Amino acid sequence: MDWNANHSGFVISSYAISIVLLAGLIFYIFNRDARARKLLAQFEKTKK
Amino acid sequence: MQQFANPTRFLSLANTALPTIWAVTIILFVVGLYGALVTAPPDYQQGETVRIMFVHVPAAWLAMLVYTVMALASAIAIIFRHPIADVAAKTAAPIGAVFCFLALATGSLWGKPMWGAWWVWDARLTSMFVLFLLYVGYIAIWQAIEEPNRAAMIARIVALVGFINIPIIKFSVDWWNSLHQPASVFKMGGPSIAPSILWPLLVMGLAYTFLFLGLHLVSIRSEITARKLRNLQITRSGEA
Repeated sequence: MDWNANHSGFVISSYAISIVLLAGLIFYIFNRDARARKLLAQFEKTKK
Repeated sequence: MQQFANPTRFLSLANTALPTIWAVTIILFVVGLYGALVTAPPDYQQGETVRIMFVHVPAAWLAMLVYTVMALASAIAIIFRHPIADVAAKTAAPIGAVFCFLALATGSLWGKPMWGAWWVWDARLTSMFVLFLLYVGYIAIWQAIEEPNRAAMIARIVALVGFINIPIIKFSVDWWNSLHQPASVFKMGGPSIAPSILWPLLVMGLAYTFLFLGLHLVSIRSEITARKLRNLQITRSGEA
């Protein structure tokens, strides 16, 4: 990859937006999963 | 398929499979990105801009694949009343929406230097935009309707009716005069792309597929956990 080539800014932007959105999606899904499991564990703990 | 109908068994299988899926995903991304950014040569017409294809094309493939999964899961929910099917369709939608948005955004970033325009109302682009609207509409149904069974029924219908758009996207470049290039990988007679560009594209496609598989399983797990919690809360409030 020639980083100084014509239009390389478009290539960098494409990879940057892909990384940001996919990282955001991964964070959102894992955060939601951790929160759901934590709430269930707390509920089962208070039930006992 | 019925053995996966039991949420506990499904969770156990998902938890066993997830570490392997994540390991394969990371390896595929490392190899795919190395091929995309290091070994693949610049195209004789597109120059370095061809490298956008390695993130654009897999995102577009996955946007269509995820919607197909949603439609299939919705059909299974209607026919077999499989308890995981609705959860699978519901949790796939946000992932598919992100892939679809990425396909549109990276396509736009490729279009500006190559076509001289960020966007054209071309058959392929328009049908892809319709797919994005279908994703947003499907997610909105689950968010807007409080009664889960009613939301599930309407969502299933939307997923199945919207599936008509998938072959339209695929064949739009053949059915109408389109600025978008015709199919060059999945077509009769085999791919028409040079192997040096084809293999990183296929590896990135597999990487995106495994990423979807991993994220989908985690999403299904969290949805099952949330539903279990809700049922326990209802049971407890009934006992009190």
